[in-house]
Amino acid sequence: MSSEPCRNPLESADDRIIAGRAADGDTAAFAALVRRYTPMMRAYTRRILPGSADVDDVVQDAFITAWDQLPKLDDPGRVRNWLMRITGRKAIDRIRSARPHSDLSEMELPAQDRMAPQRQVEARAGIAALSDAINQLPDSQRECWVLRELGDYSYEEIAQELDLPISTVRGLLARARKDIIVRMEQWR
Amino acid sequence: MNEYDTPDPRGRVTEFEDLDGHTIEELSDYLDAGRTPVDASIEGSPGCRIALDALTRLRELTPELLAADTSAEPGPDDTWVQSILAGITLDARAGRRIPLPAPALEADLGITEGAVRGVIRAAEHTVPGVVIGKCRFDGDVTVPGEPVRVRVDVSVPYGEPIPDLAERLRSEISARVMTHTTLNVTGIDITVHDIQQLQNRTEGNR
Repeated sequence: MSSEPCRNPLESADDRIIAGRAADGDTAAFAALVRRYTPMMRAYTRRILPGSADVDDVVQDAFITAWDQLPKLDDPGRVRNWLMRITGRKAIDRIRSARPHSDLSEMELPAQDRMAPQRQVEARAGIAALSDAINQLPDSQRECWVLRELGDYSYEEIAQELDLPISTVRGLLARARKDIIVRMEQWR
Repeated sequence: MNEYDTPDPRGRVTEFEDLDGHTIEELSDYLDAGRTPVDASIEGSPGCRIALDALTRLRELTPELLAADTSAEPGPDDTWVQSILAGITLDARAGRRIPLPAPALEADLGITEGAVRGVIRAAEHTVPGVVIGKCRFDGDVTVPGEPVRVRVDVSVPYGEPIPDLAERLRSEISARVMTHTTLNVTGIDITVHDIQQLQNRTEGNR
């Protein structure tokens, strides 16, 4: 029962407080945000860009942009979603620069044999099966699915970000969902 | 639900091919709409019901995936944090310029809003556990003598009387602002937005 009350009160203050303070220019508060959200932003980026060596660069870029734009964030309490947004956009930038042609929809190349991250926390078998199913999706399906389901993008936003017609996004998402549930059912 | 003990490689119901004329896309939209209004054709189709169940399980599992992924990531170390802090620009938050009385006529003296915010934040050190968030000045701080209200968001430690904490903080802020500026502060509004819990906060996700 050690209730070490506060090593650093900044670390235990809520998002609204530390984001508001970082917006005012306090780097210690911004460091607290970095510590709080780096794991989530890395995890999200890794889902968009599996196996990529750029994950840390994406997250770092995202934080630097976040610092610049924090004063424009109307509701600092929503900083978590806002950081996810910025991260998603930075990850998409990487996709774009790696694939300069806009015909993403035609690129239904199967996923390469990536090593599924062996992580003990995925011991919960359902999560492991889902993780595996996502990793096996073709790139454009996976990107759409991750942006929609983890990044909370609307269909329109995905279409805009990936430069695809909405109908294509809808189709890719439907295929992704179907592929995922088929794989998960087989596993059950 | 699973009628087969061993997977049948072909034609299993779980290939979701037999949706009685419906598509996965339609079913996803139907689920997004909360299965209302009830679509009798979908609800009456065994194939669709199985697919809806699978889509629902997927939906329930998705936030857990992000949570599991997140906790599998190593905690960020100081080198990482420092590398990010090294990349940010520090001069962007100056805000308005607040004039100060100059000792000589031709001299012009001022302090930035950002600097005064820093002075105000430092007041928290005298009230242990309090964290000051956003700080705003209402009023025209660029004109000497104009009435100005200071607004701060704060987070307070659990278990201490808030009025007492707020009063201590208010007088501390007031003293510091008076020391460093000639602002005509007509009030200091403190809003408590957060009470820190004693136990370790489960990190922001979910």
